[in-house]
Amino acid sequence: MPKAMGAVKQAVPAEIGGETHVATGSSRTAAKVVAGRKVLPIVEGVVLVAALLAPLVLQDYLTVFATRVIILALFALSFDLVWGYAGIMSFGQALFFGSAGYGVALLARDLDITNIFVVLPAGTLIGLTFALLLGGFLLLGRHPSSVIFVSLGTLTGSYAADRLARGWYYLGGQNGIPSIAPMSLGGYEFSEGPTFYYLVLGILVVVYLLCRFLVRSQFGLALAGLRENEQRIAFFGYKAQHLKAIIFAIGGAIAGLAGSLYAFHEGFVWPNMVGVVVSTQVVLYVLFGGSGTLIGAVIGTVIVEGVSFWLSDNYRDIWPIILGLLLLLVILFRPLGLISFVLGERERVGSFGAKVKENFKEKRNAP
Amino acid sequence: MANAFVAAFEILSFGAIIVLIVLGLGIIASMMGIFNFAQGEFVLLGAYITYLAYAKGLPIWAGMVAAPFLVGALGFVLEALIIRRFYAAPIVAMLGTYALGLIIRESVRGLIGGFYLTVPEPIGGSIDIGAMHISAWRFTIIVITLLVMGGCYLLLARTSFGLRVRATLENPSLARASGISTPLIYGATFAFGAALAGLAGALIVPVFSLFADLGLRFLIQGFVAVMVGGVGSFIGPVAGAGVIGTLSAALPWVMAPVVADVLVFVLAIVFIKFRPQGLIAGKGV
Repeated sequence: MPKAMGAVKQAVPAEIGGETHVATGSSRTAAKVVAGRKVLPIVEGVVLVAALLAPLVLQDYLTVFATRVIILALFALSFDLVWGYAGIMSFGQALFFGSAGYGVALLARDLDITNIFVVLPAGTLIGLTFALLLGGFLLLGRHPSSVIFVSLGTLTGSYAADRLARGWYYLGGQNGIPSIAPMSLGGYEFSEGPTFYYLVLGILVVVYLLCRFLVRSQFGLALAGLRENEQRIAFFGYKAQHLKAIIFAIGGAIAGLAGSLYAFHEGFVWPNMVGVVVSTQVVLYVLFGGSGTLIGAVIGTVIVEGVSFWLSDNYRDIWPIILGLLLLLVILFRPLGLISFVLGERERVGSFGAKVKENFKEKRNAP
Repeated sequence: MANAFVAAFEILSFGAIIVLIVLGLGIIASMMGIFNFAQGEFVLLGAYITYLAYAKGLPIWAGMVAAPFLVGALGFVLEALIIRRFYAAPIVAMLGTYALGLIIRESVRGLIGGFYLTVPEPIGGSIDIGAMHISAWRFTIIVITLLVMGGCYLLLARTSFGLRVRATLENPSLARASGISTPLIYGATFAFGAALAGLAGALIVPVFSLFADLGLRFLIQGFVAVMVGGVGSFIGPVAGAGVIGTLSAALPWVMAPVVADVLVFVLAIVFIKFRPQGLIAGKGV
């Protein structure tokens, strides 16, 4: 088995080699890689410190905005897990985000349940369930589904959900569900502000660490192999479709968590939240920041939302055009996102599990 | 009787519109393997050009004639500059064309604002058959759709250009070895697909009026139609478009429109899941 793992390890950079330049033998690259080994923790640390300090320096209305960005970063994380790590193009990630938002909004409206320990698990569960259903249908089956089918299937699902939400009176139609009661814990109500900010930041950090553990585990290794060459992973005896369905469901659960937080933070839900607009928005975040790195998703969200907020006063009309142009440039010239300016290829791919790491070092020193 | 006839006409005319929009999408998807997310924006551009001609006081039909050529030219340029880089990677192509579409859509939104702009029908009035009245313009759209479909078929099946296109689709490396310039063929195919979208936009703008999200509305329906029909042939996407267009126009007559709307998509996805090759499998015309 370790030998097989080594083979995968070797295969992964070889596959990536097509778009970037990983030469296993070249000492120059090796030196660069060793120097660049520690970039990722530094970037993560800087982002965390900045996030912790933000409410202290920001004005109140900016803290509210920052809270929204953190929630969206959580959402971006879910998409990054699905696309950046498992290579499933989910163009309908908002379906899980929005359905959880609607779910908790209904809980709050019809059943008066706003307890944080009920609504957040409920939202997560809704996201998980929808993702299991949709992912199970799209990904599992006798014949493996094509990438195109999965991406268009998720897109269609999200679009259909949008139409349903718009037309269904019970869900408030075009206007959605307004004035949702704030989330509560006993007698305390979470309203917009620093408390809410630190709450979502805490959740983001926990989820981030869980994801980080997940993608660096053996499971993560199988996922990376899946992304690079699905057939090869299947030949190793992995059930590729099952792996995909699992990660898709996990992504859905995280999106659901983000969606329920978003619903309570904004105080209303509306059909766009399940639709194509938000679905593509999250794709933008992750592509900008850099898919395949968890921190890239967070950074991308902060940059896109931050710049759009900053420009929205004076350049509201041309901002989407600039966004489109930038996105095109990123796709053409920086397919790994902005993070790839500071993060080396080797570090992005990273290493998985302790055993594999040693095996890997051995190989590095060999030639 | 009269009601049924009106319903049938409505269904037919909506089906024709979907076919018209899907034609270009299907040709690009089949011939090049690219699901062009900017196709909806090509439709929008066609509509916008027609509106511009109308606003400048030119006859509307002049705008309608100009639209496919201008949009086709734009498609040719975009293919040479950008789309060409995406052939190897279908998902990256989706994202890249999505970015292109975003740029076009937001530019048009900036130009027209958030308004719904109406363009009058160049052929107004109605055709009376006994006690029934059907819109003359919608009837014209059906006729033009049939003509365009026939023209496309003849172009692909009967001309030497069509032969080259099909050869490039079937086996690109062999086509290159036989002296066919595949990049040129791809460029021409993409431009042709874009031109069809431009024509579709120009023809439907009197029916739907002009607004920035006009193209988006049809894009997903178009994708679903292409998948249902089957990627790889000319006739597949057309058949898919016929089915999807007819269903989405017919179902609201028998059930609540909300349910019908969603049901069409659910049915389509389930169908594709169990028949990935689509209604009409195989390559060629």
